[in-house]
Amino acid sequence: MLKPEQNDYVTQTGPGTPMGNLFRCYWIPALLSEELPENDCPPVRVKLLSERLLAFRDSEGKLGLIDEFCAHRGVSLWFGRNEDCGLRCPYHGWKFDVTGQCVEVPSEPVESGYAKKIKLKSYPLIEKGGVLWTYMGDPAQQPPEPEFEFCTVPLNQTFTTKRIQECNWLQAMEGGIDSSHVSWLHRGDLSNDPLFKGAAGNKYNMADLAPVFEVVENDGGLLIGARRNAEDDQYYWRITPWVMPTYTGVPPRGDHPIHGHFWIPIDDHNCWAWSYDYHPTRPLTDSEVQAMRDGKGIHVKYVPGTYIPLANKTNDYLMNREAQKAGRTFSGIEGIGMQDASLQESMGPICDRTKENLVGTDNGVIMARHRLMRAAKALAEKGTIPPGVNPEHHKVRQAALLLKRDVQFKEGAKEALIAKKGVRQTSV
Amino acid sequence: MLSESARMTTAQEAAYRIQYPNSKRRAAKVIALDRTSAKIVDEVSRLPWNGASFFTSLSFAAKSSPGSEGGEALQAWLNDLAGHALNLVAEVEAADFVVVITAAGEDARAVSIIADACKLHNKSLVGLVVPREGASEDAIGESLNHLRPYARMLVVASGVDYVEAMLMALRA
Repeated sequence: MLKPEQNDYVTQTGPGTPMGNLFRCYWIPALLSEELPENDCPPVRVKLLSERLLAFRDSEGKLGLIDEFCAHRGVSLWFGRNEDCGLRCPYHGWKFDVTGQCVEVPSEPVESGYAKKIKLKSYPLIEKGGVLWTYMGDPAQQPPEPEFEFCTVPLNQTFTTKRIQECNWLQAMEGGIDSSHVSWLHRGDLSNDPLFKGAAGNKYNMADLAPVFEVVENDGGLLIGARRNAEDDQYYWRITPWVMPTYTGVPPRGDHPIHGHFWIPIDDHNCWAWSYDYHPTRPLTDSEVQAMRDGKGIHVKYVPGTYIPLANKTNDYLMNREAQKAGRTFSGIEGIGMQDASLQESMGPICDRTKENLVGTDNGVIMARHRLMRAAKALAEKGTIPPGVNPEHHKVRQAALLLKRDVQFKEGAKEALIAKKGVRQTSV
Repeated sequence: MLSESARMTTAQEAAYRIQYPNSKRRAAKVIALDRTSAKIVDEVSRLPWNGASFFTSLSFAAKSSPGSEGGEALQAWLNDLAGHALNLVAEVEAADFVVVITAAGEDARAVSIIADACKLHNKSLVGLVVPREGASEDAIGESLNHLRPYARMLVVASGVDYVEAMLMALRA
């Protein structure tokens, strides 16, 4: 349960809000590289943290993320012409470069220097791991580039998608650290999904439907361990890392690619659900990539030509009551991604946490909220750089392993939880 | 025409959610397992709570050794902030959930007595380990080992502020 003012504090990410300021300390995923596939390609409208922006790749391949609207009469530059190292407004021909600097005002003499005095707000945009990342904070505080393992392995070892989710970012993100829902909502998918099935560890999930949880702080966020009974005086541990403010890793299964999410606010009522899959030591196979493209695992099928899930609120998520009754799916919705999204969207645009009734096993969620609010407050009051900004905090891995019962998971899985180049994930 | 899901998930529709208290006051029993955590419990208890009871120590008869079974055999008492000794089994029976708190590296073995009472009445037990200044990872690990066999949820809290935040989140 949160008080109304706490719920506002932690869910609002627009300019000038405490949580918005926190988000603006980090590099965040803005677009997929495929959205700006070549030099001088069409620009793309982007809304992030309640700011309307426009992304484009200029004639030399330089990336820009600028205010969407022309400084002259306020028209959308999405209609602009991307040509000769700049984006030209079709209304009166004003032209802007990737930094937002106006470089031409055709109606004014060049000698007047008028163009030099016009500049649109802009943010840096960098390409890494098939993702275009932006940093929307104070330029003087710009951190080093992100080092999450999925975006540092060779491109044939990684696959990332995004989908629009029509609810506040926090209720979506909380699903990623709420490990206790998996045994219910996703129970059918463990044995059917090509990206999960066949792992030796799955038998522990099936045999013990009441895992016990442990939550510990980590440098960048949290580690959430779910343990189940295993043979020979051992526990089977599935460890989910959360890196502030919004990165989560799903514990691996066998040698399947490992995956996780980012939830990035578009505005306070919508977010992008980013889903990555990668393997630390080998290329993804054709069949794995095909399964991901087909919406298996944590990915979804799309309305063609969009990032809107094919099953979405406008078609009641293609609810299948027969499948629900027969137990093929627990909620009647197909696919892990949309099973989560459908329920999270049903909470409303912003979940009213004043009415919720949490239980002890919700401590991962409780602690994440607590850390977010504490970090936002420390940033506001003391300028403290929040956890998760330092790229060293990104080098964490999810893990699934067997440990003796008297071993603390954070200690026993210490090596497994570090992303090391060329070292396979620790998985059962 | 919009689907039902599309119509029902708008901000406009959220305004029609029924406003009423959807839960009754619940009884949380918050128990310190050692002297250091007793100070924390004492401090936290001074905040306004929604029915939570706070206990700073546990005493038990010798025959109620850890692991003893059965209500009659379990002779143990919780000591509240006013200095009253209350029967552990009765307190746990009246609880909706039980929270035990230990400071890293302190002797937390008394948890097994409380766990026996929880088991007797099928109550959920949450364990909080609060790091002490200078406490090593080994000390935290030792505390976790004491609590692990009994707690449905184990948390290494960042500090006293998390104890407050968690209890508030649970409407204690």
